Amino acid sequence: MNAAEGSDPQPVLPAPDELTRFFWDGAGRGRLMAQRCSACGRYQHPPRPVCPACHSFSLEPAEMSGRAVLYSWTVGSQAFHPWFESRLPYLLAVVELEEQRNLRLVTNLVEVEEADVEIGMPLEVTFEHLAPGVDLPVFRPAGVR
Amino acid sequence: MAARERVAIVGVGYSTIGRRTGLTLDHLTAQASVAAMADAGIGSRDIDGVAVHSFPHQYVGATPTADLLGIPDLAYYSGSVDGAAYSVAAMHGYSAVASGSCHTCITIRTVHQAGAAGGVIPMQALAASGPRQFLYPYGSFTGAHWAGMYMRRHMHEYGTTEEHFGHFAMAQRDYASRNPDALFRDPLTMEDYLSSRYVTKPLHLLDCDYPVDSSSALIFTTEERARDMAKKPVFIDASAAGTTDVNDFHLVEDMTHSSPWRAARTMWSRTDLTPADVQVAGLYDGFTFIAMQWLEALGFCGEGESGPFVAEGNTRPGGIIPTNTDGGACNVGRRHGANFYIEVTRQLRGECGDRQVPGARVGVVSNAVGGFAGCALLTAD
Repeated sequence: MNAAEGSDPQPVLPAPDELTRFFWDGAGRGRLMAQRCSACGRYQHPPRPVCPACHSFSLEPAEMSGRAVLYSWTVGSQAFHPWFESRLPYLLAVVELEEQRNLRLVTNLVEVEEADVEIGMPLEVTFEHLAPGVDLPVFRPAGVR
Repeated sequence: MAARERVAIVGVGYSTIGRRTGLTLDHLTAQASVAAMADAGIGSRDIDGVAVHSFPHQYVGATPTADLLGIPDLAYYSGSVDGAAYSVAAMHGYSAVASGSCHTCITIRTVHQAGAAGGVIPMQALAASGPRQFLYPYGSFTGAHWAGMYMRRHMHEYGTTEEHFGHFAMAQRDYASRNPDALFRDPLTMEDYLSSRYVTKPLHLLDCDYPVDSSSALIFTTEERARDMAKKPVFIDASAAGTTDVNDFHLVEDMTHSSPWRAARTMWSRTDLTPADVQVAGLYDGFTFIAMQWLEALGFCGEGESGPFVAEGNTRPGGIIPTNTDGGACNVGRRHGANFYIEVTRQLRGECGDRQVPGARVGVVSNAVGGFAGCALLTAD
């Protein structure tokens, strides 16, 4: 499971496509983005080509407040990729954004100890710099700063 | 919708099962299929349908499988890669025979140990595309990653404990000790369970099924034909699939009430039988919590009560619902759902020796969780 000899492990980087580029571009500017249906106003994540509620193909990027609550979480206790070997244990989570019921994303919890994590806790987005131009939206307890 | 034909399972079979057998997917598929035909007492010329479910990266096609087995002409075939594992092949085989699209359909699930978690994990991957771009950068690579979150959510909502999951693991290991074909047969203690390492806390290694090379095959046919075959027919009383609005397992609306609840509700709507009529269950245990979600979804215990229910021994011999009497995939190795259909068929035939549920006539089988699931009620006369 080691990376190529003589090199440090590298993170898995997102490979944006036409549908998802706005999300990662936004993250690079410190903004959490989601897709919003221009016709019915429904948000969705991950991005898709059509709104499943009203079948509009008119979907636009929208900035989220970054406030969320913790839906569930687990502790990554085993590295399935070299990048995570030095990061164990890491906190993997599903959070629900305040803008809409069930508008959720997979993320990491940061700036919190495992013992202090509680489902339902308020969270806020922050960004982890992975590589030049690549930032990962992650979440920390709300109001710690 | 009433089925035109009553459908029976008439033959079941396995390949060689083991870690890195060195056997190809075709070889394993042929072994299981030949065993199922021998069990039914029929040959490949008696079969006119093939339904295979496989992973895209371990694809086993239906028409090549007909060629492999010497089936001369297919009236129906289905090669699927999407959804709830073996239950998809079972759903296709059942539907094809019930509708008259074919009269006898062999249904197959073949897996290779490597990458059996739904995709080869790219250990050296530097970029993740498609849906994985929202998962891999965060370290969610495998089923275990969402499974740990499903368990945690159940613990939060209902007070379930790690020991509760351990009780389920111990109960099915006890059955495995009575199954000469199980790979793990030594008794399991709570200490063994709790001291097995965490993969994704609270999920322990002993919550996980055991990856192996395997193929499983079951033959479905009409009642009329079944009466002339070698073994006592086992009938499909009702069958259903279920899915959730959101397909990504991480993002389903309600982790403690995912697709099994929908499949179970639909299945019960298609039968006069009730949970109280069921004497034996084969509930998918890709992870232990999945079987426990099925216990709740199928109505064997109350909502959220699967933890205390298994701790009280209700899935053990003589309990309310003896469950996974072959030992489950944690102990017989990953058959991706097919072992439940095979074991319950054998139970309803009365072939299960030391682990036989006395007089079993009604059984239930299930597959998968999260975004998609399938289940069926099996009966014997």
